[in-house]
Amino acid sequence: MLNISGLSTSYGSIQAIKGIDIDVPEGSIVSLIGANGAGKTTTMKSLVGLLKPQAGEIKFLGQEIRGLAPHKIVNLGMSLVPEGRNILAGMTVLENLEMGAYQRKDKEVQKDFEKVFKRFPILEERKQQLGGTLSGGQQQMLAIGRALMARPKLLLLDEPSMGLAPLVVADIFNVIREINQEGTTILLVEQNVRQALKIANYAYVLETGKIVLHGKADEVAKNPRVMEAYLGGAKAGV
Amino acid sequence: MAILLNQYYLQIAVFVMVNAILGVSIYLTLSTGQLSLGNAGFMSIGAYTCAILTVKAGLPVYLAIPLGGVAASFISIIIGFPALRLTGIYLAIATLGFGEVVRVIVLNLKITNGALGISGIPTLGTKIGKILSSFGMSKFGGFSAQQVSTLLVLVILLLVLAFLIFFCIRLNRSRVGRAFAAIKADESAAEAMGINTTYYKLLAFALGALIAGIAGGLSAHLTFFIGPKDFAYHRTVEILLYAVLGGSDLVIGPIVGALILTLLPEVLRSASNYRLMIYGALLVTMMAFRPQGLISEETVRYWKGKLGRGSKQ
Repeated sequence: MLNISGLSTSYGSIQAIKGIDIDVPEGSIVSLIGANGAGKTTTMKSLVGLLKPQAGEIKFLGQEIRGLAPHKIVNLGMSLVPEGRNILAGMTVLENLEMGAYQRKDKEVQKDFEKVFKRFPILEERKQQLGGTLSGGQQQMLAIGRALMARPKLLLLDEPSMGLAPLVVADIFNVIREINQEGTTILLVEQNVRQALKIANYAYVLETGKIVLHGKADEVAKNPRVMEAYLGGAKAGV
Repeated sequence: MAILLNQYYLQIAVFVMVNAILGVSIYLTLSTGQLSLGNAGFMSIGAYTCAILTVKAGLPVYLAIPLGGVAASFISIIIGFPALRLTGIYLAIATLGFGEVVRVIVLNLKITNGALGISGIPTLGTKIGKILSSFGMSKFGGFSAQQVSTLLVLVILLLVLAFLIFFCIRLNRSRVGRAFAAIKADESAAEAMGINTTYYKLLAFALGALIAGIAGGLSAHLTFFIGPKDFAYHRTVEILLYAVLGGSDLVIGPIVGALILTLLPEVLRSASNYRLMIYGALLVTMMAFRPQGLISEETVRYWKGKLGRGSKQ
């Protein structure tokens, strides 16, 4: 569904990602893992057009999308749940969701509100509350709900577990799995490597702007280097 | 009543109206969170276009004023494309530079009459006076013809302002207004949600310029004379201060700001030399204690809640 090859993005003279290749097959969950500063968020922002990559190809559903404006990429069916959630704090929960459907002109938006509320009942309870007054976990749910309102074929999640309590993290990962089972392909960026590898089909390990390892998620999880660097040593196991 | 309607008070009321319209223009540019200091430049373009059209080309005023606005808006789109890639303080400096460029161009062009400015612009008041006297009316129950025509000008300005307020309120509830609000709240989130931020930022910028241009055209036809100094740096700051004092959350904010800041120097006239000091102190106090401006969304919510409870009891 998404084929990235040779993608490079720089901030000024500093090259943050250096020619990476990633394949996201339709219907799968692909995890992109790596330490701080590895270039994970840069990769996500480059994919949706928020950053302009210098080189490489991004093929989404067979179409080259590198250099397209973000709103056009959203129209094609790729939505990003940004790192840190970026809730519109001054707008209500309902308004935040409405903004997610901004580009849509079809008549099924109402149906999708119901779908989101069914998935996240807490959002329905709080739909008139301002986005900024929600807790971290609720804001993350709202951010995911908002991205789903655009009816994406591919959902990009940038660190959905950031700053959340372990129980809430488990909830969020369950939701991600459900969304995937209902037919949405997912590209996930995570620092919570254990969880990310558990739900993913494929995994890519990013280190200082380069893909150093990739393969089926369970194989990546067994790799001694990954165990050492991200999973607390070989003894910890998975 | 006749004493209240003296020429001095009427003139101040007219200035309040024009400044309130300028307040709406800065509100519109600020509604996408862009700090533009170019509104005096757009006002200048509007004023000069309009004055040249009426004085030199003999166009009627009611056509020239909208055309002035359109000219300002057109220029804003041209400079908006490169300028709106900038944000925050950088955009402010770029647009400030733009205002200076306009001033220097106006100062050096022949058609704008350089530093001398354009004088002999037919004022709206005298135009209306002429129309009235052509109907053979010169006395109106104790009011002079001059008073009546200035009053009519005031009514026209009030209608323009009322229309603009109505327009802004409708805009806020529309799709476009939602996009503006989202961009103001979080530009990268808005972009990620699929809002064409460039388009909406440019639209807000051009709308602000259009209204500034119209205000410029109006002011040219109210004061008989315009010169490059009328639209210099201090004018820009003044327009921005309307929003700083009144608040830029709601359209009524900059209008209240314009009202207060236009009346204040007149009220303080008795304090003579201390006038500007008091003016400055007021603004510093405002920024320290109420940085969001006099009227914010919370203010409205607070009073609505209070009045709502009051009526129930």
